[in-house]
Amino acid sequence: METLTTEIMVLGGGPGGYAAAFYAADKGRKVILVDRAERLGGVCLNCGCIPSKALLHATKLIREANESSARGVSFGTPKINLGKLRAWKDSVLEKLGQGLSGLSQKRGVELLRGRGYFEDSRTLRVETKEGQRFISYEKAIIAVGSRPAMPPAFDLGNPRVMTSTEALEIEEIPKNLLVVGGGYIGMELGTVYAALGSEVVLTEALSSILLGVDSDLIRPVMRFAEKAFKEVRLNAKVVKMATSGKQIKVILTVNGEQREEIYDRVLVSVGRVPNCKDLGLENTKVTLDERGFIQVNGQRRTSDPAVYAIGDIVGGALLAHKASKEARIAVEAISGESSSFEDVIIPAVVFTDPEVAWCGLTEAEAKEKGISVQVARFPWAASGRAMTLDRTDGLTKLIIDPQTERILGVGIVGAGAGELISEGVLAVQMGATAKDVADSVHPHPTLSETLMECAEVFYGYSTHTLARKKG
Amino acid sequence: MDIRVPRLAEGVESATVANILVSEGGKIEKDQVILELETEKAVGPIPSPASGRVTKIHVKEGDEVAIGQVLISLAEEGAREQAPKEKRDQLGKAETGVPATQEPVRAAEEPLAGEYRYESRSGFPPPASPSVRKIAQDLAIDLTRVKGSERGGRITLEDLKAYIQHLQQLAYAPKAAAEKAEKAVAKGVDFSRWGSIQKVRLSSLRRKVGQRMYDSWSTIPHITQLDEADITELMSLRKKYGPPFEKKGAHLTLMPFALKAVAAALKKYPIFNSSLDEAAGEIVYKEYFHIGIAVDTEAGLIVPVLRDVDRKGLLDLAVELNELVEKTRQRKISLEELQGGTFTISNQGGIGGGHFTPIINKPEAAILGLGRGALRPMVKKGKVESRLMLPLCLSYDHRLIDGAAAVRFMNELVQALENFPEKALKG
Repeated sequence: METLTTEIMVLGGGPGGYAAAFYAADKGRKVILVDRAERLGGVCLNCGCIPSKALLHATKLIREANESSARGVSFGTPKINLGKLRAWKDSVLEKLGQGLSGLSQKRGVELLRGRGYFEDSRTLRVETKEGQRFISYEKAIIAVGSRPAMPPAFDLGNPRVMTSTEALEIEEIPKNLLVVGGGYIGMELGTVYAALGSEVVLTEALSSILLGVDSDLIRPVMRFAEKAFKEVRLNAKVVKMATSGKQIKVILTVNGEQREEIYDRVLVSVGRVPNCKDLGLENTKVTLDERGFIQVNGQRRTSDPAVYAIGDIVGGALLAHKASKEARIAVEAISGESSSFEDVIIPAVVFTDPEVAWCGLTEAEAKEKGISVQVARFPWAASGRAMTLDRTDGLTKLIIDPQTERILGVGIVGAGAGELISEGVLAVQMGATAKDVADSVHPHPTLSETLMECAEVFYGYSTHTLARKKG
Repeated sequence: MDIRVPRLAEGVESATVANILVSEGGKIEKDQVILELETEKAVGPIPSPASGRVTKIHVKEGDEVAIGQVLISLAEEGAREQAPKEKRDQLGKAETGVPATQEPVRAAEEPLAGEYRYESRSGFPPPASPSVRKIAQDLAIDLTRVKGSERGGRITLEDLKAYIQHLQQLAYAPKAAAEKAEKAVAKGVDFSRWGSIQKVRLSSLRRKVGQRMYDSWSTIPHITQLDEADITELMSLRKKYGPPFEKKGAHLTLMPFALKAVAAALKKYPIFNSSLDEAAGEIVYKEYFHIGIAVDTEAGLIVPVLRDVDRKGLLDLAVELNELVEKTRQRKISLEELQGGTFTISNQGGIGGGHFTPIINKPEAAILGLGRGALRPMVKKGKVESRLMLPLCLSYDHRLIDGAAAVRFMNELVQALENFPEKALKG
């Protein structure tokens, strides 16, 4: 079979890979995109961001219906048709997947489905259904992503021990569910299952959920979790699991005390690992770091001059939008531009209830690095809009350089924080000062006002709260 | 709040921290002087815009600071809401009196290539939009060297352009390059090889005086016209009117007479009171007569300006002159009092000296040097007489002024000094 030749070969069709392929095609380059999945979109579309948000949307409705009676609007107890819910979720994925295929086709990006394996620095072998194909390329962009970590001690080969991938399929609503790991995946999916009716116990080995997030932003989420979940156990470690009939026996230590418990299902959400194995990277000059991520420079070039890598596979924040930004940088670098990943602000959103979102410098990070900052906080209890939404459990904060008054970081917890954070990203990325945000008129009544008022708090003249004196 | 280097004066971009008068943790009152900044022109006190406690001092004595740079952080007492406004007011009024709202706090007037360095306490890069950052990246421009003009020191495309233009100017200025080479040579000599030496850091004032002198001397074609005036009569007038002036608190020296004579001559020959605007190709005639007085201070030469000399009487001039010189020597002169001169007088007579060749105080057109009056045998009406002769040295910009005009101006001056009207001393 003849060897395909191309300028740019992208391996992996997730939000990093397809963004890179499309952008390169838009720049007039000949591109082949190789992906092993039937549907483009990677983890994000197929078993990550999108399906989890579809389910969270449905569960949010359940919660609102439940709470609505206090506001004088009563619904009956929600009836959940799991098949229909799953089908709706799948239809969303299908539509988005088709959209990507269409966009790919219209751009003239050649799609090759199959597993890719590097023969050398300039050749990829692809195992397709129709047999082996070889691609000879000038530059490669690796975007093969990551997968949920499954420690061997938990890997029973029993479908009742799930990772996020299986959990998103919601085969059933288990009577009780143990969530191992209080990171964003455990918190989001725990919320979904709790709303659908499972009794959820969440264990976290460390002293806090959502490690790395400022504690004042975590507090409202923790309060919600303590109410919605049967239990939130911190400093608890799962030691062992075993199949016990149709259930899972779990041995864990809570505050040093060993316990044995039985669950219908277990969700293991203890992090993600890079998909570096079986790629033939040893046939290239690509090097890995000690955690198995591909090492790259600011331009996302690996130690092999012909090979670039982006997204989860290079580590850092394992987030779709980070991968997409890196896609731009890598393609621009290949095109001879001097783009670099330095100074790029990557926001993070946790779609818990309430949502948590932040960007730039966090208060915790400032403390840890000894950076002198001033923090302005605006509690949503002072927001009229939050009141009308019956969601005053929010907080907006700005991390400000006291010398230049520049906004270095933004943190938000509250309903819709994920949408609100973008203004924060713009502010930090543009080098805006608190004055810039305070002076920009925000529409009333909206939650976005909390950003403006928070900036005003910094100067001590927020309208709706009595700001403490600066200094 | 942060107390920053205010806008000091026209053309003044940086200053040296001369004295810090507060300490960290110390309480200060509003308007209390927190530190003194030495510019090329004077030492200026920086008052605190608010009262409170000093939480941090960001500079040390001897530091060079730029406009907008943070000097001191203050934990305020009382109404904090007013702080930003007060801070701005102070910045705004320092020079022009324009309301602060019309004059946003700018980190700097123009980027200074090679000197500026962005200091990041947070570890963040200098503030700039992604588009500006991208252009800088593509052009391999280090943004930490570009001064931002917007709030918080944000760098705009205009700032970047100005910086690049400045770099270009530097690159194509052979003079500057030669100067640099010269400096490098001077730096290279190890004088200690021939004996013990002592090194003293150039003060900001010395450096500025040097720069100005070099600039003036190397860009203006100077001619110095030398003459003498017979001031025998003038000195007897001084002797006669000295005591009554003294009673009114004025010390009558030669200078008030010289000021009056110069003002009269300037009125008659306005070209000596003009400036050359090369860029516009224009001569700017000034209809006011503000005369700079070169004052020798411990730190070096400073030239305060006496305003409207033509409209003031001898008594007022004598009083004002004393005050001005005293203030300058104590380095309490404000920057405004150093600006707006139209002509300068450099009087060495108090110390001694004969004729010399003064350097024009750019952008003025001329300068008058005075030596010490000395008794000389002069022929008057066919007889040799002992007369007190004052050396006069007029340096002028030959681009503006021809030799004949200089002689006429000098004659006018000599006439005015030799026939000083006594009625000007009465009343």
